Amino acid sequence: MHELLERTIKEASSYFQNFLIHEYSSKSVLHRIDGRVKLVSTVVFVVLAVSTFNLSKVITVLLFLLVISAISGLSIKRIFERIWLFTLFSFIVVLPLSVYNPLYGVIFTLRVAASLIAVQMLIMTTSFADLCSSLRYFRVPKTFVSALWIAYRYAILMFRELFAILLTRESRRVSKGSHMDVWRKGGEAVGLFFLRSFERAERVQLAIEARGGNVIEYRGKIKKLDLIYSTIVGFTTFWWVII
Amino acid sequence: MHIPDGYLDLPIAGIFYILSLVVLGYSIYRLRDEKFTPLFGIVAAAIFAAQMLNWPIPGGTSAHFVGGALAGILLGPYAGALAMAVVLTIQCLVFADGGITALGANVWNMAIVNVFVGYYVYKALERFNRSIAALVAGWLGITLAAIFAGIEIGISSSFGYGLTVTVPVMGVWHALLGIIEGVITAGVVSYIAAARPDVIEQKAAPGKLALGVIAAMIAVSPLFAYAAELVGYAEPLENAAEIIGLEENPIYEGLLPDYTLPGLDPYVGTLIAGVVGTVIVLGLGVILTRYARTA
Repeated sequence: MHELLERTIKEASSYFQNFLIHEYSSKSVLHRIDGRVKLVSTVVFVVLAVSTFNLSKVITVLLFLLVISAISGLSIKRIFERIWLFTLFSFIVVLPLSVYNPLYGVIFTLRVAASLIAVQMLIMTTSFADLCSSLRYFRVPKTFVSALWIAYRYAILMFRELFAILLTRESRRVSKGSHMDVWRKGGEAVGLFFLRSFERAERVQLAIEARGGNVIEYRGKIKKLDLIYSTIVGFTTFWWVII
Repeated sequence: MHIPDGYLDLPIAGIFYILSLVVLGYSIYRLRDEKFTPLFGIVAAAIFAAQMLNWPIPGGTSAHFVGGALAGILLGPYAGALAMAVVLTIQCLVFADGGITALGANVWNMAIVNVFVGYYVYKALERFNRSIAALVAGWLGITLAAIFAGIEIGISSSFGYGLTVTVPVMGVWHALLGIIEGVITAGVVSYIAAARPDVIEQKAAPGKLALGVIAAMIAVSPLFAYAAELVGYAEPLENAAEIIGLEENPIYEGLLPDYTLPGLDPYVGTLIAGVVGTVIVLGLGVILTRYARTA
């Protein structure tokens, strides 16, 4: 079981640090732009990046994204830290094809990189609460958005609960145990974990009924800053079209 | 198995958005009278956490499970599909795991194909042996989901490899990894069936008509994708411009047509055009920054 725990801790620690990203990078101008504007802008940027194989257009999107990030105060270094692995993976995936058509490999990789940068600009500057309320503004059903919000808030707690179950079993173990043992005990532990999640859901439901659920609705207004950012996005699209 | 942005052609991504929205919309409609929201949320968080577990495999490697079939068996297909869609949306919007344009396809593969196939395979086989039913459900759900992902990227002309490469690679690899998914699903289902049989047995079976329609949608969705591709790989704005004749008769040439200055050497012209473009973006950025500081 210790092997399961050790591998899981390594995986989770690198994964969950994303939850805290909003805390340590909350200084850029992009943070102050309305979540709805950023969500739509991200979709626009990604669509511009992935709907062409024209190198000039892809580079245009990439450059605009980098310039916007740099000017607004986002750390380009941090963005690259978060996108390089998958960009490299994409390049390696199409490498055999690039032997015959090097330009394809370059453009494909740049498309992926531009999309990843656009999404990271959204993730690094927008709280999940803002994203949820923006989704509500765009008429995503209340049930789905509320479930998103609950899942996000409970993700770390549920992981800690799962981890506590595994740790307890490990601490009571007297022999090393085989792979089969790990799988059998692990299956039981995860089964117990899901039962606990049902019970917690029941308690949360009762609490919501007792206190009144908090309805996620959008209340913000579009500011001048949002209009300026929208203009920049519009300008990028215009530039993309006329190239 | 999360398809990123850039791997799918937009028409194909659009088709799978529509298909996924139809099934998820119907799922929400079916569950409208049940106070299920915390259940989706908490179980989605639990699936999310359980996906973190790295199950050791002899030889030093490890694998984690997806949980689609398990979600279907524990929650029923409608609630299971919603819980998995919640997980995938969080992974997309918080961890950039899976693309925004590809979210529809990812939901289709992992929250609909995986969940519905897993649920119905389990229901069909549970009368023989519950553990084996869960194992087959977990294995087949994930393998089919991977094959669908292979079909989607294989049909897309953006991705240079064809179906003959993508489907076998995705299918065979996940058929092997799917054994792990199946074993974990079987272990969890067996435990819950022994400890709290009511959790598994309480699921109301969906109507035959709904089941038939969703099964038909799953079966023909590759044809939809193929049809979308036949319409042609689209560069939407360029195509729109071509259709309305903007390319042949530009309404406005721009200040610097074709990134050059008329009468200048093309390279010098392009250089100047690049500088002008960058200055414009920088200028807009400075205005934005200054405004933000004073706002």
